[in-house]
Amino acid sequence: MRRELLSIMLLLCIIVFVVSAEEKPPRKAPPLPDVAVHSLGPQKLAPLPPVPVPPDNPQTPMKILLGKQLYFDTRLSADNNESCASCHDPAMGWSDKGPTSVGIKSQVGPRRAPPVSNSAYMPLQFWDGRADTLEEQAKGPIINPKEMGNTHEKMLETLNSIPGYVEEFETVFGKIPIDLDQVAKAIAAYERTIVTTDSPFDRYAKGDKTALTPLEAQGLEIFNGKGHCTACHWGPNFTDGRFHNLGAKNKEPMEDDLGRYAVTKNDKDKRAFKTPTVRDVASRPPYLHNGSEQTLWDLVEFYNRGGGDDDSNMDPLMVPLGLTKGEMEALVAFMKVAVTSNNPEVANEKPIPPDEFPK
Amino acid sequence: MKKVLLSLLLVSIIFLLFADRGNAIPAFARKHSFNCNMCHTAYPKLNDFGQRFRDNGYQIPGQVGGEKSIFATSPPIAIRALPGYDIYKTECCKMNSFHIFGVDILAAGVFHENLSFLFIYTPRIDEPAADYTGPQDGLNPRQLASVESANVVFSNVIDNKLNFRVGRFEPSYLPFSAKRSYYLFSPYEIYDFATPMNTFIVGDNQLGIEAAGHFKSGFKYAVGFMNGNNGNPDNNNNKDIYFRLLKTFGRGDGQSAGQRIGIFGIYGMQPTSFYGSIVSPFGETDGFINKQFYRIGLDASINWSTLNFQFLYMIGKDDKALNTLRPTEDYEYSGGFAQIDWAVMKNNRLVLSLLYNWVFPPDYDEQGKLKTYSVLGRYYLGNWEAVNVALHLEYTYKGRTICRFREDIIGMVIDFAF
Repeated sequence: MRRELLSIMLLLCIIVFVVSAEEKPPRKAPPLPDVAVHSLGPQKLAPLPPVPVPPDNPQTPMKILLGKQLYFDTRLSADNNESCASCHDPAMGWSDKGPTSVGIKSQVGPRRAPPVSNSAYMPLQFWDGRADTLEEQAKGPIINPKEMGNTHEKMLETLNSIPGYVEEFETVFGKIPIDLDQVAKAIAAYERTIVTTDSPFDRYAKGDKTALTPLEAQGLEIFNGKGHCTACHWGPNFTDGRFHNLGAKNKEPMEDDLGRYAVTKNDKDKRAFKTPTVRDVASRPPYLHNGSEQTLWDLVEFYNRGGGDDDSNMDPLMVPLGLTKGEMEALVAFMKVAVTSNNPEVANEKPIPPDEFPK
Repeated sequence: MKKVLLSLLLVSIIFLLFADRGNAIPAFARKHSFNCNMCHTAYPKLNDFGQRFRDNGYQIPGQVGGEKSIFATSPPIAIRALPGYDIYKTECCKMNSFHIFGVDILAAGVFHENLSFLFIYTPRIDEPAADYTGPQDGLNPRQLASVESANVVFSNVIDNKLNFRVGRFEPSYLPFSAKRSYYLFSPYEIYDFATPMNTFIVGDNQLGIEAAGHFKSGFKYAVGFMNGNNGNPDNNNNKDIYFRLLKTFGRGDGQSAGQRIGIFGIYGMQPTSFYGSIVSPFGETDGFINKQFYRIGLDASINWSTLNFQFLYMIGKDDKALNTLRPTEDYEYSGGFAQIDWAVMKNNRLVLSLLYNWVFPPDYDEQGKLKTYSVLGRYYLGNWEAVNVALHLEYTYKGRTICRFREDIIGMVIDFAF
């Protein structure tokens, strides 16, 4: 009789679960916007589609040029020394050279700058996803005390005092004075042009089976299988746009960084960071959100070990891979060459010299 | 014999050199555009990621909530087939033949977040061929038609600490899956060992309900209720119970990384009087004078580089009322197996394995002590989208102490799934 009772209790548990699945209470954090939720399956690696452009910020040549000027203009910062490009440097694969970013007054931040290239495809921006759009993202660093250290008001005051900018903004947006949304839209429009395509992988995926060397093709096979890379780095932009804890906790004296948790307050998100794109990864060492892995080889070794030392909230995706040295070499070869784009206009983008900024 | 082997070797080499690479992708790999190696060390053996994927209700661990349901993806159906050739030799005779050694039709997927299913149907395979008119025509199929698995998984009921599986399934008391073993001709003998009057077979799928979960400390558990009648309706009104407890060490779950030790136990009742009457329209019988039996064992899985060592030891005991051979004493036996798998070549394209089985029934049992030694190699064809065609070569020596009986089996199979 006791067994029957236990069976009935188990059955009741299941029924309660099924019912509650339909009537879940709201989670602690607000749900992600629809665009952020990449559905799993199929997650095929493929060439990039056209850049998604929001209807309220259409791309125009003038707007893109204006955005480029703003992107490289140090006058957006409080001390006239920092621009977007100071950390998101085209010469560093649109990321920065240090393990983590150095901002105004040489302040060292806890994270390295995520690459701007292909960020237009990201459903959420920043390592912790706190911005829904590129436009929202562009507003953030200007007022971050460790980055550009300015205020939006002072920045707008500066721009509105520069006749060249006032004229350009009026041409592009049809109204003045310059406001924050216009600045953000212009920068975002420029960032949507920073797209890396035409890599050997893209040609291979389109049918040119000679585009990859045998070693790179092996690397691709491992990338999508034994290496488990496509468990997160999938789709045309090689990212799921989600957040994962790899166990790469900041080491002292760096401050602890709780990552996505700062946005959601969900314990499961502690030290979880957004999956970056793998496209052009060779151009922007060191790796991970805190630059703790120096080279691609180090990075592959990191994953092969099953992640970092901090396993208190490690993502269950992280398991040792059992890759042999030969397999690691193939994987590194794939990442070093096969996903490196052939867009000289993006890779060799030169900063605008200060004397060419609007005056 | 030598000519046959040489011919097959030649055919295999030609096949390896000129074969067009397979493009077929089984259901989950097709859904996610993954290679099979994402979840399998080499299919059908699961790696740690695959084990977590299975434990998580066929949802990618860490990605719950993003899975497309079966309604939004291509039909989640896969087929596995095993055509091949065997050479069978005993003390008295030798035979060889082409066969279809097995066919499975599988469907699996996610209905809804944390609600998924697995269905495996094995169709009947009649051998000898239809035009054979011998005495066993139609009576001795290579494979019986059956629903091997039909279960629903309620996952993450309390995080990943509590998950339910209901229906017909492979119970978690089996530390190493016989269904996902590389071996096709050498079963884990201790799983299939039958005692005199007990219909319970350890290795068979069962009907029941199982709760399972795991903890960050590395402990995993499973407990379940089952009919204990090998996936059939029950033959008595007592439900059998089982448990499994394991601990992992290091990173990984002991499948392909990390180390694992565990224990398992099954306690059940078997009727000594079946009466033979079907008392329910659903097939169960009210066998009575039920007597107890148990199976208990321990296991370990140790990984080093691409080597995986698996060990299992089990003892079983049936009440003396179930011992028709010597009714004055309980029927006790023991056995186990030790296996070493080695994944060789890039992307585990070649797998080599050694397996030793032993089953020691009591001396008075005429089955005698059984020892088997097996070796196999599997080479996987395929391109970067899937690796799902394996050339399989296996040899097994099987010896019994009674009458010095011995069998030699050589099997060559093309194991494919799509």
